[in-house]
Amino acid sequence: MTAETALTLADINLNDETLFESGLSHEAFRILRRENPISWTPAEERIKGHWNLVKYEDVLQVSRHPEIFSSERGIVQYEPINPEDATQAANGNGKMLITMDPPRHVKLRRLVNKGFTPRAVAAMEPHIRQITRKLLDGIAAKGECDFVLDVASQLPLAVICGMMGLEDKDWPLMFQLTNKVLGAGDPEYQTDVPEDQRGTDEAARATGNMGTMQMFGFFAQQLMNRKEHRREDLISLLVDSELDGDRLSDEDILWFCFLLILAGNETTRNGISGGLVSLFEHPAERARLQADMSLMPSAVEEILRWVSPVTHMARVALEDTEIRGQRIAQGERVVMWYPAVNRDEDVFPQAQRFDITRTPNDHLAFGIGEHFCLGAGFARLEMRVMFEELFTRFPDIELNGPVERLRSTFIGGIKHLPVRFSPER
Amino acid sequence: MKVVVNADKCEGHGKCEKAAPAVFKLGDDDVSRVLVDDVPESQRGQVDAAIRLCPRQAIAWERP
Repeated sequence: MTAETALTLADINLNDETLFESGLSHEAFRILRRENPISWTPAEERIKGHWNLVKYEDVLQVSRHPEIFSSERGIVQYEPINPEDATQAANGNGKMLITMDPPRHVKLRRLVNKGFTPRAVAAMEPHIRQITRKLLDGIAAKGECDFVLDVASQLPLAVICGMMGLEDKDWPLMFQLTNKVLGAGDPEYQTDVPEDQRGTDEAARATGNMGTMQMFGFFAQQLMNRKEHRREDLISLLVDSELDGDRLSDEDILWFCFLLILAGNETTRNGISGGLVSLFEHPAERARLQADMSLMPSAVEEILRWVSPVTHMARVALEDTEIRGQRIAQGERVVMWYPAVNRDEDVFPQAQRFDITRTPNDHLAFGIGEHFCLGAGFARLEMRVMFEELFTRFPDIELNGPVERLRSTFIGGIKHLPVRFSPER
Repeated sequence: MKVVVNADKCEGHGKCEKAAPAVFKLGDDDVSRVLVDDVPESQRGQVDAAIRLCPRQAIAWERP
Protein backbone atom coordinates (compact mmCIF):
# COMPACT_ATOMS: atom_id res chain seq x y z
CA MET A 1 0.00 0.00 0.00
CA THR A 2 1.27 3.42 -0.86
CA ALA A 3 0.86 6.29 1.57
CA GLU A 4 -2.05 7.94 -0.24
CA THR A 5 -4.14 4.75 -0.14
CA ALA A 6 -3.58 4.08 3.57
CA LEU A 7 -7.23 4.07 4.58
CA THR A 8 -8.25 3.30 8.13
CA LEU A 9 -11.59 2.14 9.48
CA ALA A 10 -12.35 5.59 10.85
CA ASP A 11 -11.99 7.19 7.39
CA ILE A 12 -14.48 4.92 5.64
CA ASN A 13 -17.75 6.53 4.59
CA LEU A 14 -19.77 4.38 2.22
CA ASN A 15 -22.07 7.32 1.49
CA ASP A 16 -19.13 9.04 -0.19
CA GLU A 17 -19.48 8.56 -3.95
CA THR A 18 -15.91 9.69 -4.56
CA LEU A 19 -14.68 6.60 -2.69
CA PHE A 20 -16.01 4.58 -5.63
CA GLU A 21 -14.95 7.09 -8.28
CA SER A 22 -11.35 6.88 -7.06
CA GLY A 23 -11.34 3.07 -6.94
CA LEU A 24 -10.46 3.07 -3.22
CA SER A 25 -13.65 1.21 -2.34
CA HIS A 26 -12.01 -2.23 -2.59
CA GLU A 27 -9.53 -1.28 0.11
CA ALA A 28 -12.36 0.11 2.23
CA PHE A 29 -14.27 -3.15 1.89
CA ARG A 30 -11.18 -5.21 2.76
CA ILE A 31 -10.88 -3.27 6.01
CA LEU A 32 -14.58 -3.58 6.79
CA ARG A 33 -14.63 -7.35 6.17
CA ARG A 34 -11.81 -7.76 8.67
CA GLU A 35 -12.58 -5.12 11.27
CA ASN A 36 -16.30 -4.40 11.13
CA PRO A 37 -18.29 -6.88 9.01
CA ILE A 38 -21.63 -5.35 9.95
CA SER A 39 -21.25 -1.62 10.22
CA TRP A 40 -23.90 1.03 10.73
CA THR A 41 -23.82 4.16 8.63
CA PRO A 42 -25.59 6.77 10.76
CA ALA A 43 -28.28 9.05 9.41
CA GLU A 44 -27.12 12.21 7.72
CA GLU A 45 -29.00 15.46 7.51
CA ARG A 46 -31.64 14.23 5.07
CA ILE A 47 -31.14 10.47 4.77
CA LYS A 48 -31.70 7.57 7.14
CA GLY A 49 -28.95 5.33 8.41
CA HIS A 50 -28.37 1.78 7.19
CA TRP A 51 -26.46 -1.46 7.86
CA ASN A 52 -23.59 -2.39 5.55
CA LEU A 53 -23.16 -6.07 4.64
CA VAL A 54 -19.73 -6.99 3.29
CA LYS A 55 -19.55 -10.73 4.03
CA TYR A 56 -20.70 -13.34 1.50
CA GLU A 57 -22.74 -15.43 3.95
CA ASP A 58 -24.65 -12.36 5.16
CA VAL A 59 -25.66 -11.36 1.64
CA LEU A 60 -26.74 -14.96 0.99
CA GLN A 61 -28.92 -14.87 4.09
CA VAL A 62 -30.65 -11.66 3.08
CA SER A 63 -31.07 -12.74 -0.56
CA ARG A 64 -32.63 -16.05 0.46
CA HIS A 65 -35.30 -14.41 2.58
CA PRO A 66 -37.25 -11.91 0.47
CA GLU A 67 -40.18 -12.46 2.87
CA ILE A 68 -38.11 -10.80 5.60
CA PHE A 69 -35.94 -8.44 3.59
CA SER A 70 -38.23 -6.44 1.31
CA SER A 71 -37.41 -4.68 -1.95
CA GLU A 72 -40.60 -2.63 -2.00
CA ARG A 73 -39.24 0.33 -0.05
CA GLY A 74 -36.43 0.92 -2.46
CA ILE A 75 -33.31 -0.94 -3.44
CA VAL A 76 -30.77 1.83 -3.09
CA GLN A 77 -28.82 2.86 -0.06
CA TYR A 78 -30.44 6.26 0.28
CA GLU A 79 -33.75 6.48 2.07
CA PRO A 80 -34.74 10.11 2.52
CA ILE A 81 -36.14 11.13 5.89
CA ASN A 82 -38.66 13.43 4.20
CA PRO A 83 -40.61 11.95 1.28
CA GLU A 84 -40.25 15.20 -0.67
CA ASP A 85 -36.53 14.48 -0.90
CA ALA A 86 -37.22 11.28 -2.85
CA THR A 87 -36.53 11.16 -6.57
CA GLN A 88 -39.16 10.41 -9.21
CA ALA A 89 -37.65 6.94 -9.57
CA ALA A 90 -38.75 6.17 -5.99
CA ASN A 91 -42.34 6.27 -7.25
CA GLY A 92 -41.51 2.94 -8.86
CA ASN A 93 -41.02 1.25 -5.50
CA GLY A 94 -43.30 -1.80 -5.46
CA LYS A 95 -44.07 -1.41 -9.18
CA MET A 96 -41.03 -2.91 -10.93
CA LEU A 97 -39.68 -6.46 -10.79
CA ILE A 98 -36.61 -5.15 -9.03
CA THR A 99 -38.64 -3.32 -6.35
CA MET A 100 -41.34 -5.96 -5.86
CA ASP A 101 -41.75 -8.71 -3.28
CA PRO A 102 -43.21 -12.20 -3.58
CA PRO A 103 -45.74 -13.43 -4.51
CA ARG A 104 -46.41 -10.80 -7.20
CA HIS A 105 -42.76 -10.64 -8.20
CA VAL A 106 -42.52 -14.16 -9.55
CA LYS A 107 -45.82 -13.83 -11.44
CA LEU A 108 -44.71 -10.68 -13.19
CA ARG A 109 -41.31 -12.18 -13.90
CA ARG A 110 -42.89 -15.21 -15.54
CA LEU A 111 -44.50 -12.99 -18.18
CA VAL A 112 -41.09 -12.36 -19.72
CA ASN A 113 -38.56 -14.83 -18.37
CA LYS A 114 -38.82 -17.37 -21.20
CA GLY A 115 -36.98 -14.84 -23.34
CA PHE A 116 -34.06 -14.86 -20.94
CA THR A 117 -33.36 -18.55 -20.30
CA PRO A 118 -29.96 -19.98 -21.30
CA ARG A 119 -31.58 -21.60 -24.35
CA ALA A 120 -33.23 -18.37 -25.52
CA VAL A 121 -30.06 -16.43 -24.94
CA ALA A 122 -27.90 -18.94 -26.83
CA ALA A 123 -30.13 -18.53 -29.89
CA MET A 124 -29.18 -14.84 -29.94
CA GLU A 125 -25.43 -15.47 -30.28
CA PRO A 126 -25.18 -15.01 -34.08
CA HIS A 127 -27.11 -11.75 -33.85
CA ILE A 128 -24.92 -10.50 -30.99
CA ARG A 129 -21.75 -11.46 -32.84
CA GLN A 130 -22.94 -9.61 -35.92
CA ILE A 131 -23.60 -6.41 -33.93
CA THR A 132 -20.19 -6.74 -32.26
CA ARG A 133 -18.37 -7.11 -35.58
CA LYS A 134 -20.14 -4.09 -37.01
CA LEU A 135 -19.13 -2.00 -33.99
CA LEU A 136 -15.51 -3.09 -34.37
CA ASP A 137 -15.69 -2.27 -38.12
CA GLY A 138 -16.54 1.25 -37.03
CA ILE A 139 -13.32 1.76 -35.07
CA ALA A 140 -10.97 -0.47 -37.10
CA ALA A 141 -9.40 2.21 -39.30
CA LYS A 142 -9.01 4.77 -36.53
CA GLY A 143 -6.44 2.99 -34.39
CA GLU A 144 -7.87 4.62 -31.27
CA CYS A 145 -11.22 5.35 -29.66
CA ASP A 146 -13.11 5.90 -26.44
CA PHE A 147 -13.91 2.25 -25.81
CA VAL A 148 -16.93 3.05 -23.61
CA LEU A 149 -18.64 5.44 -26.01
CA ASP A 150 -17.78 3.64 -29.26
CA VAL A 151 -17.95 -0.03 -28.26
CA ALA A 152 -18.80 -1.14 -24.71
CA SER A 153 -21.95 0.95 -24.40
CA GLN A 154 -23.16 0.24 -27.92
CA LEU A 155 -23.47 -3.56 -27.83
CA PRO A 156 -25.81 -3.89 -24.82
CA LEU A 157 -27.71 -0.82 -25.99
CA ALA A 158 -28.32 -2.39 -29.41
CA VAL A 159 -29.37 -5.71 -27.86
CA ILE A 160 -31.90 -4.35 -25.35
CA CYS A 161 -33.24 -1.69 -27.71
CA GLY A 162 -33.67 -4.41 -30.34
CA MET A 163 -35.58 -6.63 -27.90
CA MET A 164 -37.83 -3.71 -27.01
CA GLY A 165 -38.41 -2.86 -30.65
CA LEU A 166 -36.90 0.63 -30.50
CA GLU A 167 -35.69 2.19 -33.73
CA ASP A 168 -31.96 2.91 -34.24
CA LYS A 169 -32.56 6.65 -34.21
CA ASP A 170 -33.74 6.47 -30.58
CA TRP A 171 -30.75 4.54 -29.23
CA PRO A 172 -28.56 7.59 -28.53
CA LEU A 173 -31.43 9.10 -26.52
CA MET A 174 -31.72 5.90 -24.49
CA PHE A 175 -27.98 6.05 -23.76
CA GLN A 176 -28.24 9.69 -22.72
CA LEU A 177 -31.27 9.15 -20.46
CA THR A 178 -29.76 6.05 -18.86
CA ASN A 179 -26.74 8.15 -17.91
CA LYS A 180 -28.98 10.81 -16.41
CA VAL A 181 -30.94 8.34 -14.29
CA LEU A 182 -28.12 6.04 -13.15
CA GLY A 183 -25.32 8.62 -13.28
CA ALA A 184 -27.40 11.40 -11.73
CA GLY A 185 -24.75 12.09 -9.07
CA ASP A 186 -21.97 12.59 -11.60
CA PRO A 187 -21.47 16.22 -12.72
CA GLU A 188 -20.73 15.08 -16.29
CA TYR A 189 -24.37 14.07 -16.75
CA GLN A 190 -25.89 17.04 -14.91
CA THR A 191 -26.26 18.93 -18.16
CA ASP A 192 -29.74 20.27 -17.31
CA VAL A 193 -28.31 22.09 -14.29
CA PRO A 194 -26.34 25.37 -14.53
CA GLU A 195 -22.63 24.65 -14.48
CA ASP A 196 -21.91 26.38 -11.16
CA GLN A 197 -24.54 24.25 -9.39
CA ARG A 198 -23.34 20.84 -10.57
CA GLY A 199 -22.00 18.30 -8.09
CA THR A 200 -24.59 19.07 -5.39
CA ASP A 201 -27.32 16.80 -3.98
CA GLU A 202 -29.92 19.07 -5.58
CA ALA A 203 -28.23 18.73 -8.98
CA ALA A 204 -28.26 14.95 -8.62
CA ARG A 205 -31.94 14.88 -7.76
CA ALA A 206 -32.86 17.25 -10.61
CA THR A 207 -30.84 15.20 -13.09
CA GLY A 208 -32.37 11.90 -12.01
CA ASN A 209 -35.87 13.37 -12.11
CA MET A 210 -35.36 14.88 -15.54
CA GLY A 211 -34.02 11.58 -16.91
CA THR A 212 -36.90 9.60 -15.39
CA MET A 213 -39.60 11.92 -16.73
CA GLN A 214 -38.07 12.03 -20.20
CA MET A 215 -37.87 8.25 -20.19
CA PHE A 216 -41.57 8.03 -19.28
CA GLY A 217 -42.49 10.50 -22.02
CA PHE A 218 -40.59 8.47 -24.56
CA PHE A 219 -42.04 5.11 -23.52
CA ALA A 220 -45.59 6.49 -23.31
CA GLN A 221 -45.32 7.21 -27.04
CA GLN A 222 -43.90 3.74 -27.70
CA LEU A 223 -46.75 2.20 -25.73
CA MET A 224 -49.43 4.10 -27.68
CA ASN A 225 -47.79 2.99 -30.88
CA ARG A 226 -47.70 -0.71 -29.82
CA LYS A 227 -51.33 -0.63 -28.76
CA GLU A 228 -52.20 0.26 -32.34
CA HIS A 229 -49.59 -1.90 -34.06
CA ARG A 230 -48.27 -4.95 -32.22
CA ARG A 231 -44.76 -6.06 -33.14
CA GLU A 232 -42.46 -8.90 -32.19
CA ASP A 233 -41.02 -7.15 -29.17
CA LEU A 234 -41.13 -7.02 -25.38
CA ILE A 235 -43.38 -3.95 -25.22
CA SER A 236 -46.01 -5.66 -27.40
CA LEU A 237 -45.69 -8.78 -25.25
CA LEU A 238 -46.41 -6.73 -22.13
CA VAL A 239 -49.42 -5.04 -23.78
CA ASP A 240 -50.99 -8.47 -24.33
CA SER A 241 -49.97 -9.96 -20.98
CA GLU A 242 -52.27 -10.70 -18.09
CA LEU A 243 -51.50 -11.09 -14.41
CA ASP A 244 -54.11 -12.73 -12.17
CA GLY A 245 -56.63 -12.30 -14.99
CA ASP A 246 -56.02 -8.57 -15.47
CA ARG A 247 -54.16 -6.73 -18.19
CA LEU A 248 -51.12 -4.80 -16.97
CA SER A 249 -51.87 -1.13 -16.46
CA ASP A 250 -50.11 1.45 -18.61
CA GLU A 251 -48.16 2.50 -15.54
CA ASP A 252 -47.03 -1.11 -14.90
CA ILE A 253 -45.80 -1.36 -18.50
CA LEU A 254 -43.99 1.98 -18.36
CA TRP A 255 -42.14 1.00 -15.19
CA PHE A 256 -41.28 -2.32 -16.81
CA CYS A 257 -39.79 -0.47 -19.80
CA PHE A 258 -37.90 1.86 -17.47
CA LEU A 259 -36.33 -1.12 -15.70
CA LEU A 260 -35.55 -3.07 -18.89
CA ILE A 261 -33.77 -0.21 -20.61
CA LEU A 262 -31.71 0.76 -17.54
CA ALA A 263 -30.78 -2.73 -16.43
CA GLY A 264 -30.24 -3.88 -19.98
CA ASN A 265 -27.67 -1.37 -21.04
CA GLU A 266 -25.79 0.14 -18.11
CA THR A 267 -24.62 -3.00 -16.30
CA THR A 268 -23.28 -4.96 -19.25
CA ARG A 269 -21.57 -1.81 -20.53
CA ASN A 270 -19.59 -1.71 -17.30
CA GLY A 271 -18.96 -5.45 -17.32
CA ILE A 272 -17.33 -5.04 -20.74
CA SER A 273 -15.35 -1.88 -20.04
CA GLY A 274 -14.44 -2.95 -16.49
CA GLY A 275 -13.38 -6.32 -17.89
CA LEU A 276 -11.06 -4.71 -20.40
CA VAL A 277 -9.52 -2.54 -17.67
CA SER A 278 -9.03 -5.65 -15.46
CA LEU A 279 -7.21 -7.38 -18.31
CA PHE A 280 -5.06 -4.30 -18.97
CA GLU A 281 -4.14 -4.28 -15.27
CA HIS A 282 -3.24 -8.00 -15.27
CA PRO A 283 -1.05 -8.49 -18.36
CA ALA A 284 -0.06 -12.06 -17.50
CA GLU A 285 -3.71 -13.15 -17.23
CA ARG A 286 -4.50 -11.29 -20.42
CA ALA A 287 -1.68 -13.05 -22.28
CA ARG A 288 -2.92 -16.40 -20.98
CA LEU A 289 -6.41 -15.62 -22.29
CA GLN A 290 -5.23 -14.43 -25.68
CA ALA A 291 -3.11 -17.57 -26.04
CA ASP A 292 -6.10 -19.79 -25.28
CA MET A 293 -9.48 -18.23 -25.97
CA SER A 294 -11.25 -21.38 -24.74
CA LEU A 295 -10.64 -19.91 -21.26
CA MET A 296 -13.14 -17.16 -22.09
CA PRO A 297 -16.15 -18.50 -20.12
CA SER A 298 -14.21 -18.73 -16.87
CA ALA A 299 -12.47 -15.41 -17.63
CA VAL A 300 -15.90 -13.78 -17.93
CA GLU A 301 -16.89 -15.19 -14.52
CA GLU A 302 -13.70 -13.83 -12.98
CA ILE A 303 -14.31 -10.44 -14.58
CA LEU A 304 -17.82 -10.43 -13.11
CA ARG A 305 -16.43 -11.27 -9.66
CA TRP A 306 -13.66 -8.70 -9.96
CA VAL A 307 -15.70 -5.84 -11.44
CA SER A 308 -19.12 -6.45 -9.80
CA PRO A 309 -20.87 -3.93 -12.10
CA VAL A 310 -23.74 -3.41 -9.65
CA THR A 311 -22.22 -2.05 -6.46
CA HIS A 312 -25.13 -2.53 -4.09
CA MET A 313 -28.76 -3.45 -3.55
CA ALA A 314 -30.66 -2.53 -0.41
CA ARG A 315 -33.51 -4.25 1.45
CA VAL A 316 -35.71 -3.20 4.37
CA ALA A 317 -36.38 -5.62 7.24
CA LEU A 318 -40.11 -6.38 7.61
CA GLU A 319 -39.62 -7.80 11.10
CA ASP A 320 -37.01 -7.79 13.84
CA THR A 321 -34.27 -10.18 12.82
CA GLU A 322 -30.58 -10.93 13.19
CA ILE A 323 -27.56 -11.11 10.90
CA ARG A 324 -24.17 -12.36 12.18
CA GLY A 325 -25.44 -11.88 15.73
CA GLN A 326 -26.36 -8.26 15.08
CA ARG A 327 -29.97 -7.37 15.81
CA ILE A 328 -31.66 -5.73 12.83
CA ALA A 329 -34.86 -3.93 13.79
CA GLN A 330 -38.05 -3.93 11.73
CA GLY A 331 -37.91 -1.02 9.28
CA GLU A 332 -34.13 -0.82 9.15
CA ARG A 333 -32.32 -0.85 5.83
CA VAL A 334 -29.52 -3.27 4.96
CA VAL A 335 -27.17 -2.68 2.05
CA MET A 336 -25.54 -5.61 0.27
CA TRP A 337 -22.16 -4.55 -1.14
CA TYR A 338 -21.42 -6.91 -4.03
CA PRO A 339 -17.78 -5.92 -4.75
CA ALA A 340 -17.11 -6.60 -1.06
CA VAL A 341 -18.65 -10.07 -0.89
CA ASN A 342 -17.07 -11.07 -4.19
CA ARG A 343 -13.61 -10.66 -2.63
CA ASP A 344 -14.51 -12.29 0.69
CA GLU A 345 -11.39 -14.13 1.84
CA ASP A 346 -13.54 -16.74 3.66
CA VAL A 347 -15.09 -17.84 0.37
CA PHE A 348 -12.58 -17.18 -2.42
CA PRO A 349 -9.04 -18.54 -1.94
CA GLN A 350 -6.55 -15.78 -2.80
CA ALA A 351 -9.52 -13.48 -3.16
CA GLN A 352 -7.35 -10.50 -4.09
CA ARG A 353 -5.90 -12.34 -7.07
CA PHE A 354 -7.43 -11.92 -10.54
CA ASP A 355 -7.37 -15.48 -11.91
CA ILE A 356 -9.15 -16.17 -15.21
CA THR A 357 -9.31 -19.90 -14.49
CA ARG A 358 -10.72 -19.61 -10.96
CA THR A 359 -12.85 -22.67 -10.13
CA PRO A 360 -15.26 -22.74 -8.43
CA ASN A 361 -16.31 -19.12 -8.83
CA ASP A 362 -19.69 -18.68 -7.19
CA HIS A 363 -19.63 -14.90 -7.20
CA LEU A 364 -22.75 -12.89 -6.45
CA ALA A 365 -22.34 -10.25 -9.16
CA PHE A 366 -25.87 -11.07 -10.37
CA GLY A 367 -27.29 -11.50 -6.88
CA ILE A 368 -29.01 -14.77 -5.97
CA GLY A 369 -32.53 -16.01 -5.29
CA GLU A 370 -35.79 -14.18 -5.91
CA HIS A 371 -34.14 -11.21 -7.62
CA PHE A 372 -31.33 -13.00 -9.46
CA CYS A 373 -30.50 -10.84 -12.49
CA LEU A 374 -32.95 -11.70 -15.26
CA GLY A 375 -30.46 -10.61 -17.91
CA ALA A 376 -27.46 -12.55 -16.57
CA GLY A 377 -27.35 -14.81 -19.62
CA PHE A 378 -27.25 -11.85 -21.98
CA ALA A 379 -24.55 -10.14 -19.95
CA ARG A 380 -22.37 -13.27 -20.02
CA LEU A 381 -22.90 -13.82 -23.73
CA GLU A 382 -22.28 -10.20 -24.71
CA MET A 383 -19.09 -10.11 -22.64
CA ARG A 384 -17.77 -13.37 -24.07
CA VAL A 385 -18.52 -12.47 -27.69
CA MET A 386 -17.09 -8.98 -27.29
CA PHE A 387 -13.75 -10.17 -25.87
CA GLU A 388 -13.50 -12.99 -28.42
CA GLU A 389 -14.00 -10.59 -31.33
CA LEU A 390 -11.95 -7.77 -29.82
CA PHE A 391 -8.81 -9.80 -29.07
CA THR A 392 -9.00 -11.66 -32.37
CA ARG A 393 -9.15 -8.43 -34.30
CA PHE A 394 -7.08 -6.03 -32.18
CA PRO A 395 -4.69 -8.25 -30.20
CA ASP A 396 -2.45 -5.32 -29.29
CA ILE A 397 -5.19 -3.06 -27.89
CA GLU A 398 -3.88 -1.01 -24.96
CA LEU A 399 -4.77 1.83 -22.64
CA ASN A 400 -4.27 5.28 -24.16
CA GLY A 401 -5.13 7.69 -21.34
CA PRO A 402 -6.79 7.89 -17.95
CA VAL A 403 -9.77 5.66 -17.05
CA GLU A 404 -12.64 7.88 -15.86
CA ARG A 405 -14.96 6.24 -13.36
CA LEU A 406 -18.55 7.14 -12.52
CA ARG A 407 -19.28 9.01 -9.31
CA SER A 408 -21.83 6.57 -7.90
CA THR A 409 -22.31 4.21 -4.97
CA PHE A 410 -24.80 2.12 -6.99
CA ILE A 411 -23.15 1.43 -10.35
CA GLY A 412 -19.48 0.53 -10.75
CA GLY A 413 -19.34 2.52 -13.95
CA ILE A 414 -16.63 3.60 -16.34
CA LYS A 415 -17.46 6.73 -18.33
CA HIS A 416 -14.40 6.95 -20.55
CA LEU A 417 -11.74 4.44 -21.53
CA PRO A 418 -9.28 5.69 -24.14
CA VAL A 419 -7.62 2.83 -26.06
CA ARG A 420 -5.30 2.46 -29.05
CA PHE A 421 -4.48 -0.46 -31.33
CA SER A 422 -2.92 -1.18 -34.72
CA PRO A 423 -5.46 0.11 -37.23
CA GLU A 424 -6.75 -2.02 -40.07
CA ARG A 425 -6.06 -0.58 -43.50
CA MET B 1 -35.39 -37.77 1.44
CA LYS B 2 -37.30 -35.95 -1.26
CA VAL B 3 -36.12 -32.87 -3.11
CA VAL B 4 -38.38 -30.48 -5.04
CA VAL B 5 -37.86 -27.84 -7.72
CA ASN B 6 -40.17 -24.84 -7.70
CA ALA B 7 -41.12 -24.65 -11.39
CA ASP B 8 -42.39 -21.08 -11.02
CA LYS B 9 -38.93 -19.93 -10.02
CA CYS B 10 -36.68 -22.18 -12.12
CA GLU B 11 -35.21 -20.39 -15.15
CA GLY B 12 -33.14 -23.22 -16.54
CA HIS B 13 -29.66 -22.26 -15.45
CA GLY B 14 -28.80 -25.93 -15.11
CA LYS B 15 -26.45 -25.60 -12.15
CA CYS B 16 -28.36 -28.38 -10.36
CA GLU B 17 -27.89 -30.75 -13.28
CA LYS B 18 -24.13 -30.14 -13.15
CA ALA B 19 -23.96 -30.51 -9.36
CA ALA B 20 -26.15 -33.62 -9.11
CA PRO B 21 -26.59 -35.18 -12.57
CA ALA B 22 -28.29 -38.31 -11.23
CA VAL B 23 -30.97 -36.24 -9.48
CA PHE B 24 -31.79 -33.28 -11.77
CA LYS B 25 -32.41 -33.02 -15.49
CA LEU B 26 -33.21 -29.86 -17.41
CA GLY B 27 -36.29 -30.33 -19.59
CA ASP B 28 -36.92 -28.94 -23.07
CA ASP B 29 -39.04 -26.25 -21.41
CA ASP B 30 -35.99 -24.95 -19.49
CA VAL B 31 -37.36 -26.22 -16.19
CA SER B 32 -35.39 -28.67 -14.08
CA ARG B 33 -37.03 -32.00 -13.19
CA VAL B 34 -36.25 -34.25 -10.24
CA LEU B 35 -35.44 -37.74 -11.51
CA VAL B 36 -35.71 -39.71 -8.28
CA ASP B 37 -38.38 -40.01 -5.58
CA ASP B 38 -35.95 -40.67 -2.81
CA VAL B 39 -32.47 -39.17 -3.00
CA PRO B 40 -29.94 -41.88 -2.04
CA GLU B 41 -27.70 -41.10 0.92
CA SER B 42 -24.67 -41.01 -1.38
CA GLN B 43 -26.10 -38.13 -3.43
CA ARG B 44 -27.35 -35.90 -0.63
CA GLY B 45 -24.14 -33.86 -0.58
CA GLN B 46 -24.51 -33.15 -4.29
CA VAL B 47 -28.11 -32.08 -3.79
CA ASP B 48 -27.08 -29.78 -0.94
CA ALA B 49 -24.60 -28.20 -3.37
CA ALA B 50 -27.33 -27.80 -5.98
CA ILE B 51 -29.61 -26.14 -3.42
CA ARG B 52 -26.84 -23.76 -2.47
CA LEU B 53 -25.79 -22.93 -6.03
CA CYS B 54 -29.21 -22.49 -7.66
CA PRO B 55 -29.26 -18.87 -8.89
CA ARG B 56 -33.01 -18.62 -8.28
CA GLN B 57 -32.91 -20.61 -5.01
CA ALA B 58 -35.66 -22.73 -6.51
CA ILE B 59 -34.66 -26.08 -4.92
CA ALA B 60 -35.44 -27.35 -1.45
CA TRP B 61 -35.66 -30.55 0.56
CA GLU B 62 -39.30 -31.40 1.06
CA ARG B 63 -40.23 -31.13 4.68
CA PRO B 64 -41.95 -34.25 5.99
